[in-house]
Amino acid sequence: MSTVTVAKKDFKAARRSKLLWAAAIVLGLIAAFVGYVSGNAPGGDTQQVRELFRVLTLILGILLPIVALVASYLAIAGEREGGGIKFLLSLPNTRREVFIGKLLSRNGIVAGGVAFMYVAAISTALTRHGAFPAAMVFGTLLVTLVYGGTFVSIALAMSSAAASRSRAIAGAFGTYFVLVILYVFPIVSFADIARWLHTTILGAERNPDLYNAVQYTSPYLAYRKAVNLVVPTEMREIVFMSSVPDEVSYGSVEANEALPIYLQDEFSVVVLAFWLGVPLLVGYWLFERADLE
Amino acid sequence: MPSIETNGLTKRFGEDVVAVDSLDLTIEDGEIFGFLGPNGAGKSTTINMLLDFIRPTEGSAQVFGMDAQREAAAIRERIGVLPEGYGFDDYLTGREYMEWAVETKDADDDPEQLLDLVGIREDAGRVAAGYSKGMQQRLAFGMALADDPDLLILDEPSTGLDPNGIQHMRSVIRDRAEGGTTVFFSSHILSEVEAVCDRVGVMNEGRLVAMDSIEGLRESASGQATIELECASVPEVDGVADIDGVGSVDVAGTKLTATCTDPSAKVDVVKRVDRRAEIVDILADNTSLEELFNQYTGGGRDGDGDVPTGDAVERVESQEASA
Repeated sequence: MSTVTVAKKDFKAARRSKLLWAAAIVLGLIAAFVGYVSGNAPGGDTQQVRELFRVLTLILGILLPIVALVASYLAIAGEREGGGIKFLLSLPNTRREVFIGKLLSRNGIVAGGVAFMYVAAISTALTRHGAFPAAMVFGTLLVTLVYGGTFVSIALAMSSAAASRSRAIAGAFGTYFVLVILYVFPIVSFADIARWLHTTILGAERNPDLYNAVQYTSPYLAYRKAVNLVVPTEMREIVFMSSVPDEVSYGSVEANEALPIYLQDEFSVVVLAFWLGVPLLVGYWLFERADLE
Repeated sequence: MPSIETNGLTKRFGEDVVAVDSLDLTIEDGEIFGFLGPNGAGKSTTINMLLDFIRPTEGSAQVFGMDAQREAAAIRERIGVLPEGYGFDDYLTGREYMEWAVETKDADDDPEQLLDLVGIREDAGRVAAGYSKGMQQRLAFGMALADDPDLLILDEPSTGLDPNGIQHMRSVIRDRAEGGTTVFFSSHILSEVEAVCDRVGVMNEGRLVAMDSIEGLRESASGQATIELECASVPEVDGVADIDGVGSVDVAGTKLTATCTDPSAKVDVVKRVDRRAEIVDILADNTSLEELFNQYTGGGRDGDGDVPTGDAVERVESQEASA
């Protein structure tokens, strides 16, 4: 009950933030723009719309972590620095209720931003193509919300660990850099570092599966692979090309099944679950033990 | 059962900062307890431990017989807190904050009535973050009063309030206390505590250095009283200095000043002088609690750190260097 009251108050205050509304509108405009410029894919109207949502997920993959981190990095640290925590915990709320309440409300805020994009994209799709591939729309929506949730969890953990606003900002920047940039940036990505350590320092034979497994620890790549689970087979994206055996063609169903289980699309569920759950446990543990002054 | 009880409650920050040092405190049901001490004496740290904002290094604290750490939620159901260092930083109006407090406490109170009680009903539609410090303090006080708590914990409650506000807050506190609420009133301002409290504990450097009623504290003061007598003519001083309890006598023109080691000797001084000269004006000055407070706390942060030994005063061995 208290959890809901905490979440309600937090959400109510957030709803009045002009910045959040501005961000939501920008997200909606981006989606509308994508909807407007897409439509050059081969195939009929439904295929055009599917392609639109696929492009949308590519954008969300990079953009949503920023949205979720910005929306959540002050959830706890801001209350601590601003003194709101004094009221929260003087009233009959436990730290757990405050933590979970914040988690719910910040997920709600991120979901609101995603909803803006989806509404804009669906509207454009219906107007231009008159098609609504429900399975793919709702499938990608679900996966996207889970993906946003992982970064809310991570930001909340950072926010619990940081006693001040400035540290929380540093944590949010650091998270994006490490969990997104360092996985996709050429030459210095984690996979490249792993390969360099493995072949140059240890002098071992190249093992693409290993490097791809390192790469797969990113929620960003897990999201791209998880999207494969909800799109038609022929639209699946082959993320780990270097692990696909030579005799299997990229576009086939077998391209996924030929991979070791820990590189298959289905494994993304495990990776996302890890990032959804573990930061929460760590963050809650830190918050529960912290001296709040 | 006492409302608050601490046993050897200790909080260290890092290796060498002892904010609260083996505090044994018992606050009985229904009393208005004044928790007095200079800045940095450990008052807020003690309150923060009672509320489970911070965890004791050693010792324990109990509120209504419940462990402050393990049963924090059950304790919060029964207390009202005006915390120190709070902030209204959400974009919510005063009314919404009050409604939130009432809802969270699951209270029957009418938020409007509480807003009215603390005098901010007219401004309740404005965002609380934009309030003046005094208005925020009123709102926070009102939120603490919701659900008629069994214990009110007030940390520096008069901060930012105008004199009317202070008066009004005192009368509300007294009302609540008459209704059976225990009040824990923390302040660095002596007159505040003097005006409302039944019993006072004085904190200094993390330790409880005195614990008594206001009268008891006054009596235990080793200070002096002075009396000034303005006479119509130059008074004669023979024998005045011989009165029991009179330390010294000084005459400057028509004004006689006697310093008394025993405050009750003042009456004898007046009687004696009055026999021989017409007294026009009397100015008596008891040892103020202010001085007493300085004695107990060695002048706080601004003093030289000399704390006299005495029955109610513990010697503080080392004084933290003033920053």
